[in-house]
Amino acid sequence: MLYNVHFGIYVDVAMPVEDKSKSLLPFLSSPKLLPDESEAEFQSGLQSLLSELDNPSPLSGALVSQLNECLWWIKRHTVDKELLLHEAMARILSKGGIYTETYDNRKVSDALENYLDGSAGKDEAKWIDEILAESKLTLPDLRIRAFKDASRHIKMVDDLIHRQHQTIRHLQRSIDSIDYKSRLIKRMDLELAALESKQSVKGVLSLDDKSS
Amino acid sequence: MTTNPRRNLANRCNALKSTGPRSVSGKRASSQNSRKHGLNSAPDFESSLEYRALVELIAEEGLSAFACADIAAGLLNYRRVMDAYYDTYTSPEPVDEFLRDVNVRASNPIFRELLSPSGSEPQDVREMAAFFASMQRQERRKGGPVSRRTADSHKLIRYQRNGIARLSRAVRRG
Repeated sequence: MLYNVHFGIYVDVAMPVEDKSKSLLPFLSSPKLLPDESEAEFQSGLQSLLSELDNPSPLSGALVSQLNECLWWIKRHTVDKELLLHEAMARILSKGGIYTETYDNRKVSDALENYLDGSAGKDEAKWIDEILAESKLTLPDLRIRAFKDASRHIKMVDDLIHRQHQTIRHLQRSIDSIDYKSRLIKRMDLELAALESKQSVKGVLSLDDKSS
Repeated sequence: MTTNPRRNLANRCNALKSTGPRSVSGKRASSQNSRKHGLNSAPDFESSLEYRALVELIAEEGLSAFACADIAAGLLNYRRVMDAYYDTYTSPEPVDEFLRDVNVRASNPIFRELLSPSGSEPQDVREMAAFFASMQRQERRKGGPVSRRTADSHKLIRYQRNGIARLSRAVRRG
């Protein structure tokens, strides 16, 4: 029987157990990525996490894929911190100087990005230098002011990253508990098998005694 | 799309006079205007195919039926939160560039013309200008796209906390 599970990926519920652990993974691990993100990188992260589990069951596989997603979110939010700073710098520049009403925020933002990368053309670099001079700011000053302006949002990003860390902790505990339970069940099975074999040996011996 | 600032300002002034939708379908549509992510509505996982498939798969781990149902619901609930988180992150409230950049003080003659074509009424014009200025302040306070998506995503933290706590509890109890 085929089920369309969540992301449009089909899971065959009637297949053997070992195949199911593989087939459940796409259901929860098929990533929702941003246009500039690499799926191969996402999948390689997932595979490296899965390789740390001995024999991942469907459930532990599903939890590991959620854990991988958390790590991905931490990466995204770390980039966001830089973007927030850049956004604030562009905002300060577009408000600065005598050009207040003619400067386009986006234009300044693009020019500033190139300027900071060192890939700005002559005109762009001159333009940014002019605005900085008009605003009576140096680049480090601008960065400090931008940090002050964006501090509220940077704190929010820190909260978001912290949340992902907490989620990872929860997921790790859950994976550990599944692993512990499966090991416990295995151990009990082995003990039961040992007891049964002992009892069968005893039964054979007692039968031998009676017959002799 | 209106590019003329004068026309744009006139449209916004006229929109302020609107008394809202009249038709049933309009009212139904506008009743969903403030819906952000839908995470406050009660989910119905039990009747979904995903839920049943998950329960069957988890059952093979040797857990009780109750535990399987609990874990499957927890997992689907967590996915629902993370999907909403992704949607919020990728589609933040757009920046209203016109409102952000419009020079409210310089627009006073337009307000005057729109409000009282025959003769100026300073009080009304002042009120309209003050209203636009406050909207502009709000718009500017929200910042650019990255600030907006950060602020929007931040509102979903409590749903994530509850979602993962529910899932983790279900797995450890199971």
